[in-house]
Amino acid sequence: MKKKTDQGIDFFDKTPIYIITSIILLALLILSILIAVGFGSVNISIVEIYEIIIYKVFGIGNAIETSDPSTIDIVWLIRLPRIILAIAVGMGLSTSGMVMQAIVKNPLADPYVLGVSSGASLGATLAILLGVGSFFGPNYVGIAAFIGAFGVSISVITMANVKGKSNSTKLLLSGMALSTLCSSFSSFIVYFSDSAEGIRTVTYWMMGSLSGANWDSIKFILPIVLLSTMFFISQYRTLNLMLLGDETSITLGRDLHKYRIIYLIVSSLNIGIIVYASGIIGFVGLIIPHIVRMVFGTDHKKITLIIALVGSIFLIWMDVLSRILIEGSELPIGIIISMIGAPIFIYLMINKSYGFGGGE
Amino acid sequence: MELKIKKLNVKLGENHIIKNLDLHIKEKEFIGIIGPNGSGKSTVLRTIYRALKPKSGIIKINGKNMKAISLRETAKEMAVVAQHNEQDFNFSVLDMVLIGRSPHKKFLERDTLEDYRIAKESLKKVEMEEFINRNYNTLSGGEKQRIILARALAQDTNCLILDEPTNHLDIKYQIQFMSIAKELDITVISAIHDLNMAALFCDKIYVLNEGEIIKYGSPKHVITEELIEKLYGVNSKIFHDREDDTINIMYRPF
Repeated sequence: MKKKTDQGIDFFDKTPIYIITSIILLALLILSILIAVGFGSVNISIVEIYEIIIYKVFGIGNAIETSDPSTIDIVWLIRLPRIILAIAVGMGLSTSGMVMQAIVKNPLADPYVLGVSSGASLGATLAILLGVGSFFGPNYVGIAAFIGAFGVSISVITMANVKGKSNSTKLLLSGMALSTLCSSFSSFIVYFSDSAEGIRTVTYWMMGSLSGANWDSIKFILPIVLLSTMFFISQYRTLNLMLLGDETSITLGRDLHKYRIIYLIVSSLNIGIIVYASGIIGFVGLIIPHIVRMVFGTDHKKITLIIALVGSIFLIWMDVLSRILIEGSELPIGIIISMIGAPIFIYLMINKSYGFGGGE
Repeated sequence: MELKIKKLNVKLGENHIIKNLDLHIKEKEFIGIIGPNGSGKSTVLRTIYRALKPKSGIIKINGKNMKAISLRETAKEMAVVAQHNEQDFNFSVLDMVLIGRSPHKKFLERDTLEDYRIAKESLKKVEMEEFINRNYNTLSGGEKQRIILARALAQDTNCLILDEPTNHLDIKYQIQFMSIAKELDITVISAIHDLNMAALFCDKIYVLNEGEIIKYGSPKHVITEELIEKLYGVNSKIFHDREDDTINIMYRPF
């Protein structure tokens, strides 16, 4: 009983800013979904869109009679899944980026740092240019990329653990080595390929896109990302200790070795399925955690949920931009993110004089 | 906390650093470990706080074999202030000290008012309470060291392990640091370079040379002109102050 009152006072005394921010961001996320669904190449009235969504979700109203079937399909089968996928991808990439930075204890790490993206690229290149894995069915490129991504990160973990426990430096070096190896094999295949069409597909795939969104893949992607995010939120003490290093962490009662492997597997799974659904979308996992850190510091108790929410909102709007920026055509979202994200990042970095290590 | 070490051997790679070391530290003793660079002071301490695994030997904490105790249990028994406190991420001073409460926390247990109270009190003890909202990375080396001491105090343990903790501190804070440790009235095990400081604060001194303990006892008994000559190859003169019953070492230039 006493404990409960303690925590009650604690809630108002110590924690308001980041909790209030989280609530505001959650509201912004919902608002973003409702607004973003109105953007697209076909003009549909906002009232009609909501009627369709309310009908589909709650079974209320008579949208099925008043709306055109093709309009219903555009809203329900194209726009909404795409927005939900954007949420999952944004959340997964940002939180994995944050976790990777803690695992390798390096602020420059991103979700792809341990060779995951090169593994995925190799998988996709093999699938597109050589038809490897075509027996997986229509989405075999995504599946091959997932296997590549997940396979490489598991190899990195294994490599770093040969001859004694892994540490952040060994992980980083193994990741870089395997990454180079995979890229060189991808280049090798591209070099000897005579399929111009195939090479174009590989290039497009490596820039990432959310256009492949559908409810079937969302059904397993969204739960995995949400569960992983909740898991990482619960791990804030260990994540904080990771930043202090192995030795300090031992003196504070935790051997990071085991946690590092668990976190790596969870984030590799996340990245693998994200790559499967959307190709390689870079930069999000690097900038979102840092933008949030600039404002809220490094304590993972405060930043994990905020990073997840900011990542989701950011990706929804980047996807909207990628659809409307050039009329009648769609830009790869990876290009938009880098073109807009990098200047924002630089601006914030200069303005807040954010030294990863020093500066206040 | 009581610590018993029997026939401890530690190897780093191929190098045999600690050789058949025996150590018996009683409750509430203030122990100094002295010795030249590379004599194995840090290695002994790191083995005690479990950052290194011994090759052979037995370490017993309060009569229990350390191998049978979880890391969290040891973290509740002993806190560590070492020298490796630089890092790449920005923590606030308060966050840094609160991390000291980790071993007392169960899975998903939040920091309570009590934890905040302990953290603030620890900061007060090291005279850093007005730094509470500062960024840890913006502090000077000495200030960082005092924050790390505050973190160790927040850990609320029966033993403090110090690995040359006063390296970055000016003389006032060197003395303050050691006085805080002394006043805690718990077991303190400290590697110390400054022999005057060791003589001033320690109940007992162990002399380590090439991984072996060559002498131990009270500071007055252990620290002699011959020992300093033998360990460091330095000539010195030791004065005995009858008023305070302390010794003072004066070194002579080469």
